This record gives sequence, structure tokens and C-alpha cells, in this order.
Amino acid sequence: MKHTPSDDLIVWQFDFALTTFFEVETDQFHHHIPSRLSPMEVSPGIGLVNITAFNFPAGGMDGELPEFQELIFSVIVSPDLSRGVPKFAMYVLSLGSTCQEHLDHSADFYKLPIHGLLTDTKINREAIAIDYSDADGQIVAMNNCSPQTNFRDEERYFQAFTSDGDDLTIADCYIEAPLFEHQLTDNAGTLNLHPFLKNIDFDLGDPLPYLQMIGRPGDIGKQFYYRPSKF
Amino acid sequence: MTDFFDKLIQEEPYTQYTLDMFSRSAGKDHAEIKQFAKWRELVTGANKYTFEVPHLGAQTPEISVRRESGDEYDLVSFASYNYLGYSYHPEVIQGAKDALDHYGLGATGSPLLNGTFQIHKELEDGISDFFGQEDYGVSLFSSGYGANLGAISAFIHKGDHVVLDRSSHASLIDGAVLSQGKISLFRHNDAEFLEKVLKRIDYENSRILVCCEGVYSTDGDYGTLRDIIDVSKKYGAAVLVDEAHSLLVAGENGRGVCEEQDVLSEADMIIATFSKSFGGVGGCLYAKKKVTNYINYYARSRMFSCALDPGVTGGLIKAVELAGSADGDDRRKRISENADYLRSKLAGRVDIGTSSSWIIPVIYGDERLTLPLSDYLQKNGIDISLMTFPAVPKNKSRIRAFVTSEHTHEQLDVGAEAILKAAEEYNFLTE
Repeated sequence: MKHTPSDDLIVWQFDFALTTFFEVETDQFHHHIPSRLSPMEVSPGIGLVNITAFNFPAGGMDGELPEFQELIFSVIVSPDLSRGVPKFAMYVLSLGSTCQEHLDHSADFYKLPIHGLLTDTKINREAIAIDYSDADGQIVAMNNCSPQTNFRDEERYFQAFTSDGDDLTIADCYIEAPLFEHQLTDNAGTLNLHPFLKNIDFDLGDPLPYLQMIGRPGDIGKQFYYRPSKF
Repeated sequence: MTDFFDKLIQEEPYTQYTLDMFSRSAGKDHAEIKQFAKWRELVTGANKYTFEVPHLGAQTPEISVRRESGDEYDLVSFASYNYLGYSYHPEVIQGAKDALDHYGLGATGSPLLNGTFQIHKELEDGISDFFGQEDYGVSLFSSGYGANLGAISAFIHKGDHVVLDRSSHASLIDGAVLSQGKISLFRHNDAEFLEKVLKRIDYENSRILVCCEGVYSTDGDYGTLRDIIDVSKKYGAAVLVDEAHSLLVAGENGRGVCEEQDVLSEADMIIATFSKSFGGVGGCLYAKKKVTNYINYYARSRMFSCALDPGVTGGLIKAVELAGSADGDDRRKRISENADYLRSKLAGRVDIGTSSSWIIPVIYGDERLTLPLSDYLQKNGIDISLMTFPAVPKNKSRIRAFVTSEHTHEQLDVGAEAILKAAEEYNFLTE
């Protein structure tokens, strides 16, 4: 898709991306979702949450931001197909970052629910793994669980729902990067009982990954993230 | 490969979508219907729509089909579940004709009220005799889907538990949903994982039904019934085994994987589907008579559906009779030999996974190949079933060859050659 520069579009460059969709009982998170949205389930009673970790090099927002790390926690919900056909639509529950300015901007521009600053972020690019914590302790340790990779360099379309007071908003987001997608169900990390993750119990410490999307190490990817509008 | 897929998406843009993407949409409008219509138009416009292609004759190993475009193809079929060829067996057809002449076209009523005919009782007796166990009965349903739906939802209620193998058929899952019981899944064929799941339930005070299958149609592998039943019984759980793809075919006498793994008397409920090896349509629950008597009253999918039509019932009686005779023994031997023959032609050259039955998957991987590949295979002489994400994991999309006792070695050779040629064309040879 052709993206025309405008005040409603911010292009973010990233040099690390690891995202995992985990299976979890829908009952555990359904109450966090606005009633107009419904969770996508892989089987009855089993929904999907998404945890995405990014590293953004210095220079974001026209050079204003330093290098920072970001963590997003969301629930996979029914998309709005009247806008196009995305790979997934998510309702964002928590955003964490090592950069306060980025958090402030995300709350204002994207209406994202800010959880707070991440205090300790480790990225192992070789193993494609992360370990992120905040003041309440370790949130997540997450790793690629596929021994093989097959990166596809193409644009992928997503939708991001957020709440703005009583209103629901939706934003279009496109990722242009070589990504590898797989559904191997091996050990993909540890998800803790943590406020950032809404204190969800991820299968007694044995979370089941449904899908992983992994950026190719060393490559710069682009995220075309549009300003949300009222849904 | 990236160049290959870039070209594919450019030339055939519908390949970038998978069917799950149109399953539903947020918002008041039915945007999913509009988007699906656009996608279908793209596929049909390219003459690559290979779903619901009408067959022009019976489900024999050689068939003719006609696409929406009007193009006709003569094909060797590997897509039918007519495992023993009974759908077109002369004696089965005669049985159906006789019943049709005697009873008319439809049963025109619920089995519990006015739709049960003497011929239904004969089919129940025929199936009971085929299994040969005392005090067991049969509850007939108008579809295999309805049998699972009705049996599970009558046996399990709100507050109870249904524990399913992750590879379970949709009818088992839907039965569990209808029951309103709490649903849990265990990793495919993993009795250790099942035990973990059962331990988490208050099993001493809960009613639990564990559901599994004799042969799984995704991978063509056998259910590990012995292990699953042992673990289930340890925690007081009842076990339902869906033998849709295995009854009449597996086991020395055709009594399914339950017979083969010596658990026939330990499975609490066995589900049969008449639309596969029986060659007709419908399904049944086989269980202790007191259970089937109860299910006859309380299975809503039975109570509120018309009884099996008499013609089909007459044909099914004959199919069960044949399957229990030397004819069945011969066909079981042939299907097993045929499956081994086709596997030997494919093994080592393409990925056939863990198949050990008459269902042989060939994993081609990338879901974007599904429709072009299906089109290619039809144009190269075979009709075959393709299974793609989300029914199987990403990068694990597959062709499934359903072998029957009636295939000849020449027909199996045609199938193997077409698959290997496609593997070369679409880069999924493993050698």
C-alpha cells in the first residue's frame, strides 16, 4: 500500500521485533474488552493475547526520541473488515516503554493505555529473545521457539482498537519488514502474574504459543501507524 | 522463494488471504460478507475455485467433475471417504432400492415420535450384532455431526467438563459447546498432558467426558486410545471415541481402532459416521443400552431432526452385513495394502507426516499455495482434498489423499505421479 505522509501518519523504524500470540482462557480477559468487540477464539473458550516487544533505534519522531524499547500487551478481537482485511485486529490493554516521552506521545496521539516505564530490558538478538521488567518485577521473558526461520519481506496490515474514555477508537497499522511466522508450540518463554499482563494466569507458567512473528535480526523494519479514529 | 511468492501474489492476489480472515467483522454491517464476495470473485475470475465442484457420477475411484466455468475434468479421486467402496456396491444399492420401494422417500418425522420404521430397528440390530457385545445398543442420528452434537450435549451439562484432543473434529467441539460444560483441550494424543488437565479439575466431584478419535483425518494417525482410556479411568472420566474414519476399516473384524487397541468394552461411547466407510449418510452412538435409551430421548439433534431416510437405511443394513463378512475382510486387506503402496511411492520424496492409515497427508507448507495447487492437481488428473490454515498450523498446509480398497495400483500410480510433479512445480519435494 502507498502511504502518503500526513499529520495522521507516523512512520516508526525498528531494528528488533518479536511478537507472540498466546492461548489463554477467554474468561480471564473478556471483562477487559469493550462490549462492542468480541475476542477471536481458536477453540471455544480459548482466546488469544498478543505480546510484542520492539526496539526502536534513536531518531524516532523526527529525531526527537532516543533509542528505546517497547512492550505491548493486547487481546485479539474481531477486525473491522469494512476498512480492509487485516491479518489480525487487537485491543490494546497495556503499553510499556523505556522512554517517558514516547509513553506520553502514545497516550495523546494513539490513545494507548499506558502502564508505565520499563525498568530493565534485555534483548538477545542472536537468540531472538527478550526479558523485560518494570518496578513490579519481571513481566515477560520471551524467545523464538522455532529452530528454522523463513523470512517473508512483505507488508502486513493490522488494526489496533483502543479506548478513549467511553469511546472506542480504531487505527490502521502496517508493518513493512522481513518477518517469519510460525506456529510451533514449543517453549516460548515465561509470562508472569503481573499487573502489566492484567494478572492473567498463563496456564500455570506453561503458556502455549499459538503464533510467533519475528523480525529478521539486523534488518530495519518500518511501522506505518495511523492516528486512530472513532469506531 | 520470495520471488516465487512475490510473483504469485502479484498474479493471483487472492492467495494472500486465508479463509479465517473473513470469518467475522466488528461493526453493524456485514463487512465480512462483502469482503468474502470480493475474494470469491477474484478466485472464480481466475478459474481457481475448486470448492464444491459438482461430481457427475458416483464416488468411484475415477470421476468426472464440472467447474463453475463449465470446464470438465476426468480425474482419479483421492478425495472421497468411500473407503470400502460401499456407496456404489450393487447389493447396497439394491438394499436401498428395496427399502425405497417399500417405505417411500422420507421418514417424515422425528425418530422418537413417528419417524421410526422397522428398517431402522433392523439397522440398529445389524450394528449391535456387528460389534457383538451384550447389553449394548445403538442410537441412530441423521448425520455423524448430529451424533456427536446430540450425544455429548445430552451426557454433559453446565458445570460438567468436556476434555478434548486438540485435533478433535468440529462436531465434537460443537457438541461440547452445546452442552455448556467447561471445555479443556489436551495436546494431540498426549496422555501425559491429558492427566495434567484432569488433575486440575475437581475430578472427584465432577462429571467429565474425554473425547478422542480412532483415526485423525488431519494427520492420518491413530488415536492412542489405550493410554487415553487408562488415564481417563484413573480420574473417573467417561470416554467417547469418534470412529468416523475407522469403523468398518480398522480392526481385525472392522470394529474400529477400539477393537485394534483392545478397548472396545472400555470406551463408554463410540460414534460412527455412515457417510464414510458405510457409503451412505447419517451416524450413530454405540454404547450400553441404558445410555442409548437415554440419549434417544435427550439428544436434541436427534429429537428435532427427521429420522434417517428409509432408502439410505436399507443400503446401510447391507453395507454393515457386507463389512462383517468375507467381503469386508477382503476390502480391509486391500485398503491396507493400497495405503502402504501409495505411502511407499511418496515416502522420502515428500513430507507425509505421521500417517499410518488410509489417510495420507502430503505437507506442502505455505497456505498461499492452496488454491493454485488444488487447481494444478485437478488439471493434472487427480481430485484431492487440501487442508490449510487455520485448520492446520501455518506452514503446515497439506494435501490429503484418502485411499480406498477400490483403487487399483495404476490409479495409485497416477496419484503419486501427479503429487510428485506438483511437488516439483511448487517446491515441496524433500529429497
